[in-house]
Parts: sequence; C-alpha cells; structure tokens
Amino acid sequence: MLDLATEPSLLSPAVSFHTVRLDAQKLRVRNLEHKAVRSKAAPNLVAECDREALSWPRRAARLVRRMCEAERPYIHPDERIVFTRTTPSVPPVYSPHQWIEKTAGRTLHELGPISNICADWEKVLSQGLLERKRVALEARRRLAENRDAVEFLDCAIETVEAVLDLAARYASEARRMGKSDVAEILERVPALPPRSFREALQSLRLLHAVVWMGGHYHVGLGRIDQYLWPYLSHDLEKHYLDIAGAEELLAEFFISLNKDSDLYPGVQQGDNGQTVMLGGQTQDRRDAVNELTYMAIRVALYTNMIDPKINLRITENTDLSLLTLATELTRRGLGFPQYSNDAVVIPALIANGYDPADARNYTVAACWEFIIPGKGMEVVNIGAVSLPLAADQAIRMGLSAHESFDTILKRTAQHIKKQVRDLTRSYSHLLLPPAPYYSVLMDGCLESGRDLSCGLEYNNYGIHGAASSSAADALAAVRKFVFIERSVQPEELLAAMAADFEGYEALQDKLLHEAPKTGNDPDADKLLARLFDFLADACETVRDNGRGGRVRPGTGSAMYYVWLTRGKPEESGNLPIGATADGRRKGEFFSANLSPSPQAQVRGPISVWQAFSRLNYRRICNGGPITMELSDSVFSDPEGLSKCAMLVHTFAKLGCQQLQLNTINLRTLLDAREHPERHRNLIVRVWGWSGYFCELGPEYQEHIIARHLYGG
Amino acid sequence: MRSGMVFDIREFTVHDGPGIRTTVFLKGCPLHCSWCHNPEGMSPLTEIIESRSGKRTVGRLYTTEQLASILNRQASILTETGGGVTFSGGEPLAQAAFLSDLIDKLNNVHVLLDTSGYAPARDFDLIVQKCDLVYFDLKLVNREAHLHHTGVDNTPILENLRMLARMNIPFVIRVPLIPGVTDTDENFTAIAQIARQLADLIRIDLLPYNRAAGGKYAALKKEFCPTYDESRQVNVDLAAFEAAGVQARIAGSQPN
Repeated sequence: MLDLATEPSLLSPAVSFHTVRLDAQKLRVRNLEHKAVRSKAAPNLVAECDREALSWPRRAARLVRRMCEAERPYIHPDERIVFTRTTPSVPPVYSPHQWIEKTAGRTLHELGPISNICADWEKVLSQGLLERKRVALEARRRLAENRDAVEFLDCAIETVEAVLDLAARYASEARRMGKSDVAEILERVPALPPRSFREALQSLRLLHAVVWMGGHYHVGLGRIDQYLWPYLSHDLEKHYLDIAGAEELLAEFFISLNKDSDLYPGVQQGDNGQTVMLGGQTQDRRDAVNELTYMAIRVALYTNMIDPKINLRITENTDLSLLTLATELTRRGLGFPQYSNDAVVIPALIANGYDPADARNYTVAACWEFIIPGKGMEVVNIGAVSLPLAADQAIRMGLSAHESFDTILKRTAQHIKKQVRDLTRSYSHLLLPPAPYYSVLMDGCLESGRDLSCGLEYNNYGIHGAASSSAADALAAVRKFVFIERSVQPEELLAAMAADFEGYEALQDKLLHEAPKTGNDPDADKLLARLFDFLADACETVRDNGRGGRVRPGTGSAMYYVWLTRGKPEESGNLPIGATADGRRKGEFFSANLSPSPQAQVRGPISVWQAFSRLNYRRICNGGPITMELSDSVFSDPEGLSKCAMLVHTFAKLGCQQLQLNTINLRTLLDAREHPERHRNLIVRVWGWSGYFCELGPEYQEHIIARHLYGG
Repeated sequence: MRSGMVFDIREFTVHDGPGIRTTVFLKGCPLHCSWCHNPEGMSPLTEIIESRSGKRTVGRLYTTEQLASILNRQASILTETGGGVTFSGGEPLAQAAFLSDLIDKLNNVHVLLDTSGYAPARDFDLIVQKCDLVYFDLKLVNREAHLHHTGVDNTPILENLRMLARMNIPFVIRVPLIPGVTDTDENFTAIAQIARQLADLIRIDLLPYNRAAGGKYAALKKEFCPTYDESRQVNVDLAAFEAAGVQARIAGSQPN
C-alpha cells in the first residue's frame, strides 16, 4: 500500500487518465442521448399472468424475465462497461382492480415494491449467478416438501436465467460489433465470479440495473471500496491495470449510473438512493480505507454528477488527507459526501441488537439510515413523528390549564408516544410484494428458501424525529418566559399564538430573539436531548413491529419539515401547525434534519454540534444528519479546504453521528432572494467579511448571485 | 462586572487567522472609513436592522463572564485545530477594559486581535500583551488622506505599529485595497518602507476591494457614501513590496 500522506500526487483531486473518451460519455448522458434508444412501450404482463393464473411470486419473476427479454442490447462504440436500459417503464403485474383487491386492508410502503435496502453485492459478485443458482437448486432439493419454498426458488432461478440470457445477448451484440473485449467479459460475468476490476464493474452494472427493472427503487450500492477492492488490488499487483486505467473504468461505471435515473421512481428527480459508502472499518476492526476509497472520490470529482451519492465513514482518527479530498467534493455543491461517525454508529447498532460484525459492515439506505448490506429487510422510513406538534399541543393544553412545566414535558412525551404507536400500528399490516430477483442478491433467502419479503436477519422499522430544534425552541421559550422569568402570562402567549402574533409583535420579537435557541444556548440544547429521549422511550415500548423487529428512532426529517408546516396532501391526519411558542408564524418552515430552527440566528458549527452531541445516539440509531451549509468562499484558498477538513474532524471528535455539508450554491441564493424567511441563516462571504444574505440590499444580493453564477 | 457591546459572534471564520476560530465582533469604532463593510460595527449603541427577512436588534451587552463562558465551552476544540478566538469589530480596542478582563477569563486559548491600531498607547499595550497574534490594519500612510477617508489622524496608528514591533508578538499587516485610495504605488511604497523596519512582522496581506462593501447599509437605514470610484480595478502590483524585501500577498490566493 502506498503511503498516501507522503504521496502528494495521489492526494491531487485530479484523475490521471486521459478524459477525452469519458468527457464524450458524460456529454451524451447530460444531453440525454441514450433516451433515443428507448423503445416506445413496456411489455404488457397482466393478460399473460392472468391467462396462466400465476401467483404473485411467479408474476414478480415473470416481470423480471419479460423486462430482461424486452431489453434491446445497445452498445455505444466507445463503451467498455455496457448496459443501457431501453425499456421505458416497469409494467404492473396486476390490473388496478386486482391490485386493490390484493392490497385491501394492508399497508403498502410508499409505492409498494421493496425499496431502500442494500444487496450483498460482495457475495453476489464473488459467487457469480451460476453459483447462486446452484445454491437455489440445492435448497430446492433440501426443501422439496415445502411448496412455498419450491415456488420461491423456482421464481428466483427464473430471474437468474433471465439475467444470464440478457448478458448473453449483450455478448453477441458485442461480438457482432467486433468488440471482442466486451464480449469476452459478458460471456463470463455475471454468471461467474469476476477475474478483474473491469469484470467486477460490468457484473455490478448489470446486476444492479436489473433490480430497478424489477420495479424496486432506492437501490443502494453499499461499500464499493471494500467489495471491489480485491479485484482492483489483484489487477494493480499483477500490473494488469494502473491507477489511471482503474480510474477510467470506475468513472465509466459512475457515469453509467446517471443514464437511466429519469426512469427511476422516487420523490423527485435525483432522489434515487444510489448511495455508495466508503471507508470505515473491516470485520477485524482495522481501518478499511484503501486506494479505492481515494479513487472513488477523485472519480466523483471528475464526473461531477449526482450519482452515485458518496457517503464516507470516518472517526476522529481518519486521515486528514482523505477528509481534505472529500472536502473538494463538498466544494462542488452536490451535497455530498455525507459523513457518518463510526465511533458513534457502530456502538449504537450493537446496542440495538446488531451483531458486531454486521454493525461494522453498515452502509446507508437512500438517504442516511444505517442498514446492513444483504442482511436487512428494514423499512427505515415508515414515517415521522412531528415533534413540534407534540410540543405545541402540550404547550397549549398545559398553559390553558395552568400546569407546571414538568407536566408540559410529560404531555409532550405522551403525545410522542401516541404518534409512535399510531405510526407503528399503521404498519402492522405492512404488505411487501414478493421480490424473487432481489432475494437472489441477499444473504440467506436462497439458502432458506424464503423470499426477501418474508424478512431477513434484521427487520426493524425506522421513524424520523422531525423538526426537533423547532420543538425544543418552543419548549425552551415557554420554560424561560412563563415559568422562570414569569415575564409572559400564559394567556398572553396563547392569545398571541392564536392571532399568529398579529398585534403581538413585541412578544414575537422577544420569543425570536431573547429565548434560548437550539445551537445557541444549553437550556434549549438540553430540551432537544430530552425530546429524543422521549422518542427513544416511545420506540422502545414497541416490542415487536409485526415483522419480528423493533422501531428505531432517528434524527432525520426528510421532507417532513415542509409537510408538517403545510400539511402533507395525501395524509389528511397531518394537519399543519399554527404559530408556535418559539415565535415562528404559521406557514414558516421548521428545522430540517438536525439543524437549528430557520428562525434562529446561531453562531456557527461548533455551538450547533455541541448541541447535537448531547443526544444519546446509542438509543437513536436510525440516522439523520446534521445539515449545514457553508459558503463557497470558505474554499477560496487551500487553507480553507484544510480547515474544512479539520472541521469534519471536529464533528467526529465531538461525538456527533452524521453530517451533511452543503456548499451554498446558486439555487440556494435564488431561493433566498425569493423566500428570505426560509434562509435567515444563510451566510455569504463578501470580501473580508460575512453577512446574512437576506439582509443585504437587493443590488448586493444580485452581485453575489452573479458571482456564484460566474464562479468569480 | 464589566459589560461589552458585541454585534456578532461567528464560528468557523476561515479568513480570520490560523486553525478553526471563533470571531467576536465588538461594536463601536472611532474610525469612519467610507468603505466600511461592517457599518453595524460603527456605533457603540444597539441598532435595528430591518430587511425583507424581518427586523432584529443588532448589538448585545455581554458581561465578561457570559462571553467567556460561551468561548470557554469551545476553547479546547479550537485549540486542538491550532485555532482560537479572534477579536474584531468595530474596533475591539475601543472597549479595552472589557476586552482585557475577558481575555483574562479565557482558558488558555490562542487569541488574535484584529485592530485598526487606533487606540491610546496604554490600551494598545494592555491588550496586545495578552494576545498571541495581531492583525493590524494599515490603510493609508499619508496623514491628510487618512483623515479624509477615515475621519481620524493616523499618528496614533503609526505609533502603535512601531510599538507593536517592539513587543515580541507576531503580527500581520492587512491593507484593504480601496481603488484609488489605498492601492496607489505611493501608499504601497510608504507601507513597504515602514514594514521593512518592523521586527516580528510575518507578512502583509492585501485584501482586494469587493463591490458588495455597501451591502449592509440599507438594512441599517444608513447611507453608503464611498469617497472613491467603486468601479475602478484595484492595483495588485506587489513590486513595491518586493523591492523593499517585504513579504506581501493578495489575501484569498495561495500563500507562497
């Protein structure tokens, strides 16, 4: 292994291959040229499935088979890693009427199909599909008496054969085009274990793409720098490949992940959960960072595309050179890497019943939730507890009845418990459709003859504790002004909130500017920690979520910080909240993930992280990042870059769990110009100083926007 | 119990000294530079900032205990990164007694003073003795020009600068580049001539003018009246410094 600390060339953020070929590929993807090869319509399955009276598992397998068959092999002359999807959508396996019948009385998670998990890519690659098929056949013999198992295994085998057939058709297309290198690779993988880094990437490309074609979404890629490393290190040792060649292959793979993403179902374009996890620990607790870790970041810097989304596992001992390189990526404003602190996450997973070896192998789901590749059939986002709603109801009730602050806290805890119970109950009839192909990629499904939808080693649910800072701030304001200082009468506060502070501007000002705020004041910080204790208490009362798992509390908010404000259209129960005791007016946003409330002006990352380091993360292990925006002027010189890397170190040292650093970019600035109320904390650096963007005169806002526009 | 007027406390101020730093901006300044980008730092009193994002009071009194407690909570974290606390403004020396007490209450943290140098010699001496590094703003060597653009005589500034060089405290001279005012070859030469005689000077940082300097005035209901042509390119020719053998750089660019 090279000593990276003394090899400045490797620390360079630039890739070392000649980029002409891949520049052209990037351009084609950006111009959506691959769309031209798409067929008009997807195969129609319902009639065929009805005619043959197929069961649901058999329909799921038939879907994968027909989708693979419908793929028309397309290889661009300059490609080395191939597969471009040509089917425009994934057809249903039941008619709408049948679907309603099938799902009556059951809860579907989001769109229905299994999503947001991570396959055991290491195992699938290293075994190859033929070995997976052999495992299935062996289980079929062993379990011949078990009809469900036999049906499942037949379905799994059907999908394996469909993928092998697709690979064979790609191989002949490559032969026809005279691309014998591509053909040879596809004649080997994914049927057999890869013999090289390139074969591994090609195998992964195809295996991964077919998961999407089966109707699944948020398909994670896991710890690529671990499971691809044996192939790469072998090639490097034998001099089959040099660093430049390896980078070029990885870059081509990364670019390919951006090709079909418009076909992926998700909340919004780009939210497709193609996450990778880098770094961390090995099974025997050694530092898992290797040359591929660095290479993946360099390649992501080169591709500069939204996929894959880079996550990095760190500790306070992580090499500063790696963090500096990762900071280069932050500077691009793509919103990654996202950092997870191993020293916090691994003990929390172990404390929550995860085997230590599995805990050390964690990755993240589509957003941030900690999951175990191949071993988790967890639904990590069954919903969010509205912490502001709990606090608000308790405050209104408590103040009206002249109760003590402790009673208000108790009421808050009760409300949280009720929300957790309601959410869990709504998922007690969860229906996961069968997933024979995804099962092939998991650990233990083929071996035990059980479909992934029946569960795996880990079957927990996850709940977000949303908009926590806003809730803590409301409680902190009430505690200070009503109970300690007694400078605000309960009736006055209730009336002001009812009037949305209309006519109570002085009181609102006091609530906004003189009350303790999360990230600014230990009094609010402590209440934030209490709220998460309440959430953990509530989750721990759920002994079984109905699938043999528990409920994991987390600190994320996803889109809930908006939905809790505006009301989520499809959930009538989620009523918007009015004005709150922290001085926030009706309709104004709550805090997103772990961040100070948007109404609060805070000093900066150190105080904010000190606040969030108070949480008892051993009990709060679903994940959810501290979200922070940096001005891009932080990166105006190399010193700023290394300071930012030190800052990430500091995050780990403080014992925080997860961190998402964003660089302020044009989109943020434009939104801030239109909606200043959402961006009070947006700081921009101008000359030797910083200012709140929203407080600058319009012409100066324009100036800064122009600067970001032209990168000056 | 002493109190001081502060208009902002900002963490992770990457351009305010080595390592990760927290900068305390003290409110009130005896200078009135026409290019001042922190107009809320001029008056020693509280003011209202009103913009489209709402209204807030700028300026808050802290006792030394309150402020020291905020800073001491993070002192060890800042120290571990080779950073510390920076006092800026306004003019921090305008509240010298408060600042002196405050620094005494800090737990062993690197202290950087960012000053205009305009203060009574004994205040300057009192504070600088307690600091680890000084960023000393030197705008104009010409006395009349200084008076015209900043409202004050630069004699005490130059005297304090000479005193600083005898105090065995490392320091950086910072020159804001104001087009046609501070960026002239004459001013560069004069600064270089002074600088070459100063012991413990680390380097000179030239801070290029940014046209958003007047950005905060409207929200304060103040008028921004530059005494120079904002649209002119600033002179960044370092020849005068090179000739005098003084290390100078344009801040924000790569250090040599």
